[in-house]
Amino acid sequence: MKMKWKVFLLMVVAVFALVACGEKKEEGSGEKSTEAPKVDGKTEVVFWHAMSGQLEEVVNKLVSDFNASQDKIAVKAVFQGTYEEAITKFNTVAGTKDAPTIMQTFEVGTKYMIDTGKIEPVQKFIDAEKYDTSKWEKNITNYYAVDGVQYSMPFNSSTPILMYNKDAFKKAGLDPENPPKTYEELKVAAKALTTGDQKGFSILNYGWFIEELIAAQGGLFVNEENGRKGDATEAVFNGKEGQNVFNLISDMYKDGTFYNTGQNWDDMRAAFQSGKIAMYLDSSAGVRGIAEQAPFEVGAGYLPVPEGTDWQGVIIGGASLWMANGIAEEQQQAAWEFMKYLTSAEVQAQWHVNTGYFAINTDAYNQDIVKTEWEKYPQLKVTVDQLGATKPSTATQGALISVFPEARQKVVNAMESLYQGANPEEALNQAVKDTNQALDMANRKK
Amino acid sequence: MSIWKKSFLYMLLSVAAFIMFFPILYAFLISFMQGGEVLQGKIIPSDFSFTNYESAVQKVPLLRYLWNSFVVSTLIMVGQVLFCCLAAFAFTFIQFKGRNVLFLIFISTMMIPWEATMVPNFQTVRALGWTDTYLGLSVPFFAMAFGTFLLRQQFKTIPMEMYEATQVAGVNRFQFLFKVVLPVSKTSLVTLAIYCFLSAWNMYLWPLLVTNDERMRTVQIGLKQMQSQELATEWGVVMAGVVMVILPTLILLFLGQKRLQEGLTRGAVK
Amino acid sequence: MIAGKAQGQLKIKARRSMPSFVEGLLYLLPSILLFSVFLFYPMLKTIYLSFFLTDAQGNAELFVGLEHYSNLLQSTAFRTSMKATLLFVLYTVPAGIILALFLALLANQKLKGIGFFRTIFSSTMGMSVAASSVIWLFMYNPAIGLGNMMMKTFGMSEMQWLLSPDTALISVAISTIWMNTGFSFMILLGGLHNIDSHLYESGKIAGVSDFYTLRKITLPLLSPTLLFIVTVSLINSFQTFGQIDILTKGGPMESTNVIVYSIYKDAFVNFNIGSASAQAVLLFAFILIVTILQFKWGEKRVHYQ
Repeated sequence: MKMKWKVFLLMVVAVFALVACGEKKEEGSGEKSTEAPKVDGKTEVVFWHAMSGQLEEVVNKLVSDFNASQDKIAVKAVFQGTYEEAITKFNTVAGTKDAPTIMQTFEVGTKYMIDTGKIEPVQKFIDAEKYDTSKWEKNITNYYAVDGVQYSMPFNSSTPILMYNKDAFKKAGLDPENPPKTYEELKVAAKALTTGDQKGFSILNYGWFIEELIAAQGGLFVNEENGRKGDATEAVFNGKEGQNVFNLISDMYKDGTFYNTGQNWDDMRAAFQSGKIAMYLDSSAGVRGIAEQAPFEVGAGYLPVPEGTDWQGVIIGGASLWMANGIAEEQQQAAWEFMKYLTSAEVQAQWHVNTGYFAINTDAYNQDIVKTEWEKYPQLKVTVDQLGATKPSTATQGALISVFPEARQKVVNAMESLYQGANPEEALNQAVKDTNQALDMANRKK
Repeated sequence: MSIWKKSFLYMLLSVAAFIMFFPILYAFLISFMQGGEVLQGKIIPSDFSFTNYESAVQKVPLLRYLWNSFVVSTLIMVGQVLFCCLAAFAFTFIQFKGRNVLFLIFISTMMIPWEATMVPNFQTVRALGWTDTYLGLSVPFFAMAFGTFLLRQQFKTIPMEMYEATQVAGVNRFQFLFKVVLPVSKTSLVTLAIYCFLSAWNMYLWPLLVTNDERMRTVQIGLKQMQSQELATEWGVVMAGVVMVILPTLILLFLGQKRLQEGLTRGAVK
Repeated sequence: MIAGKAQGQLKIKARRSMPSFVEGLLYLLPSILLFSVFLFYPMLKTIYLSFFLTDAQGNAELFVGLEHYSNLLQSTAFRTSMKATLLFVLYTVPAGIILALFLALLANQKLKGIGFFRTIFSSTMGMSVAASSVIWLFMYNPAIGLGNMMMKTFGMSEMQWLLSPDTALISVAISTIWMNTGFSFMILLGGLHNIDSHLYESGKIAGVSDFYTLRKITLPLLSPTLLFIVTVSLINSFQTFGQIDILTKGGPMESTNVIVYSIYKDAFVNFNIGSASAQAVLLFAFILIVTILQFKWGEKRVHYQ
């Protein structure tokens, strides 16, 4: 028996050694390719994205328009599942010949992408040809810039916005052209709007909205200037600003004026469209769809802040485009050409009108198609104005942390515990504690 | 059977059928809804037009995806049943040293969580150059401990005398497997085949990882592709896709019902 | 009836040229080969990675020994996950099998048009987890869902379904039972067909009750099929992932964060490959024990016709 165990142990050790060796080999064999793949004599640019549904149609249209507009570059758009799934796949192939040229990643993956070391900052190309970036909306590009270096190209950008049912406002005797701007006004309005089956207000159980509400008050999410001065080591969202947000939710929920809609975007929109809630926070990208489909008049307003607090603005959400490194220079250059095409005023105008996402290039808003669209859906203009009014600071620039998805889960947990009657302060502190643990782990690898 | 008992049974059947079928019926109704109708909580669509079906087919190459899913599922089904038969046969009818240990090792693979295998396997398939091929989509699933276990259970019910008799008659093991063992195990084989096919049909993450080419992708990816993130999803179109994906299965089930049951009965060991 | 062990006592003289060891391995070779490449290798790698912190690419970076394990065993989140997993198995497996058995017995009657009902009962087989989950998501929606509409019609108060930690797991379990019923029904019906009808006729002549027939004839003879269904249901239940991802994302307050979903989140969303690996290893060990117990207990009780 003893003998058997020894043999077994020996085998385990041997196998581990083998696995460990296999590991190293893989690292070393970064099949770097210097020759750009060609398709019919054109340089191929593979573009991995996570745009599904109507968005994929728009992306495909942009790509085919670009391909038709010139004869040197062939862009190939490939849908790779959700943002998370796409990153998983990117991780596995990054640095090999199977890696895409352009990779779309959500905003919370920014730090993560930089840390992989498998990407080329687009700043390199901006510098190389002294590309004029003055037309870019700074409140968007800032998110993806670290220490003045533009890492990725913003693509689909959105911010949160307060949506409300104008018909319900009229019924409740509220001014439908004057949405609440402070927490206090919000509470009063919600109280007036809560009648019968209808509740006043709702926020999706999604960490993004909490981050935004904190930033609107000028609060930070993590230390080290929101992780922009150096690697964040501690979460700070349980400060005064965070507590204001959590107290608001907790008070309104206890008051019966807040409706818990869960974690699903469409569940929340269903609650709004079916008249279950009269006000809620949505993404600016969803605004047009709601305005189009709701059987009542829809209004849009800025994010509220507590009374007496200076409104700071919103952080950009959505995703950006990253360029891979370790691929042929020619391919990178081709990818840069495509990125430039995407940021042109005409394309951006099309993008804004067809998806509801912001235009990076502010010239786009002067295009005729945008003007007609805004006449039809004035709510869209509110979202653009809100972004334009944002005051640039580390708070509104957004936090930069590698464990963002995890931090969001912790915040959601804390939100959900509010509906079970948890103390807002304790719930927030717990979320901070959990996030710190994740940050510790991540920082130890460095 | 008395008329009372009969009508009671019919009533019970109808109620059960309504409850079981309701979610599918609901999907069917949603598939005709336009724009905001779904989110406004309607149950009956305002008008029955096929526009959602048209746009579902236009949005993603659904027919191509259906074909791929069919090919991959069939390949996995055939491969799994074959490999499992061979393995189960060895575990039942061939005496050799270390057989039980080996069987235990086989069984233990059943417990390996798929999340743990996904990424390393993707690297392996990539190294083999099998991305965007039916091979990469199907081969990793050919061996299955569960199927081996199931068939071994079945093979064990075959009288050993039968095996001895064929040995005396000079039939070799391989022939014994095909001429005697498989025909009497029809029920288990069909059961296993259905199970394999369905699990393969449901795969999402693996096909997504190992394919880049639209021409190689499968139905489940297509359904996911129709749903938006952040923007409101056109649920009518998604459900039209769902209905189109299940319709072939439902028709097959209905047509095959009788034959399948007969087959299952005939193959039984008496 | 033949006991499964009969062949164990029989020794067949090896008359062939090939030693049986080699021949046995030949039959097993395809499976062994694939297992080694696609299961053992990843599993070993998982065990290996469970002792490390990993970089973005999932490569081992910093050896931390048993830290992931000790963290897990101490964390309340892991305990919640284990509890949720066990409860989920408890909710879905017995109820699912009883429902499928009930439907199978019902559909085993010789009536006109029974084929139609059989198709309906097995129809959920064709529904993918992703598609079914979306439908259930609608039905559970507290604002527009049919769940609450029905509650209202029956004069009951509205429920939070997926939004309350108290009901979320049960709600997911109900939808899971529905998804699995089609397959279980089909297999059980096949099993019922295999039972010799003479046995029922002799039972009828003896004048025993339907319930007695069920208990003394049907169930014992159905036991191999039942063992199969129990095993499949257990495996499926432990591996439940798709419905949770769509319906609850593990929430609210981690009440539906079953262990497999927790692994998925750590590996594919949070990129804590080390921690995910440690959880996978623990899950592996846990299911292994359950399965061994189940076989030990199950094999004794199964009757072969």
